[in-house]
Amino acid sequence: MAGLNDDAQWIVMMGFVVSFSFFFLAMILNQSTVVGQTTAESVLDFPKNDIRDVRNVIINSTETGDPGYVHDDIIVISQFRKNAVVYYDCPPNTPANPPDPQITLCPSNSFTSIDIHYNNGVTAYNETWIPS
Amino acid sequence: MVTDDGQLYTIEGVAAGMIMLFTAYLVLGATSVYTPGDSHISDMQLEQTGTDALRMMNTPVNGTSESQLTEIVDTLPLVNGAIAPATNAFDPTNNFNILFLNYVNNKTGSDYVLNISEADNLHYTAEVTYYDRKNTTTEGLLISSNRNLTGSEHPVRVTQWVITNQPVPGDTTMTQPRAVLVEVLLWRD
Repeated sequence: MAGLNDDAQWIVMMGFVVSFSFFFLAMILNQSTVVGQTTAESVLDFPKNDIRDVRNVIINSTETGDPGYVHDDIIVISQFRKNAVVYYDCPPNTPANPPDPQITLCPSNSFTSIDIHYNNGVTAYNETWIPS
Repeated sequence: MVTDDGQLYTIEGVAAGMIMLFTAYLVLGATSVYTPGDSHISDMQLEQTGTDALRMMNTPVNGTSESQLTEIVDTLPLVNGAIAPATNAFDPTNNFNILFLNYVNNKTGSDYVLNISEADNLHYTAEVTYYDRKNTTTEGLLISSNRNLTGSEHPVRVTQWVITNQPVPGDTTMTQPRAVLVEVLLWRD
């Protein structure tokens, strides 16, 4: 090398190594906020609490027997206030042929299953709940 | 007299200069858009706190009694006289205020009533939405609030379904259970 001696090249190399490690540490630090933010956004986007709540009220309402008032309340208020399309009914044991287009209400404690449907445009949730 | 010793130093200097210029160019050219994106993190936590508080209020202490939230909704005097104003000592508005503020503001080692300076600083506006079958509209009714919304807050909305045995306005039957939605706007300042 012109006018240089190549003693102590490892010092130069360590300099490189240290700078690169700083660079990567900075990058990790830089990404940490994004990680928290995208996680929080995903948690907010997914209507976990809404689904649990509406599912809870539907199942509870069938315990007392509901002639259709709670059914209508849940469907209407969900659309107006929660921007979600919610529907549920209790399919009969022996489905009519062709199927009965009417709402099959959930009589008190005498049904075999509840079909619950929830859709807020982002998340669709469908469940067939069977009392144990 | 110029010698050509140390040419590598020259090359290194030029290279370092170019790297520095390029870095400065990158830094100055980067557009920084400052958005309140980080608020999602506190929003998420606030929403969970509020939902949990409402769920606690909507959990009965045993199998036969009503939950506190159901009791509050049941005794709420509704606008057009479908429910008579509470005649007993139970004040739904005040009860909701005390319970909800306690649940959301208590922190470890603090008590919202006894030691307010160490408690959290959450405020709320709560209303209940019901479906008026006669007019086929949904209507809201204020339960209570401890602070007015002025527009500078950044609230989150949490909700809880409640089945009430009391008739709501527009209810013709007056005896059937109805589902109403308790909605709370919750913010920290």
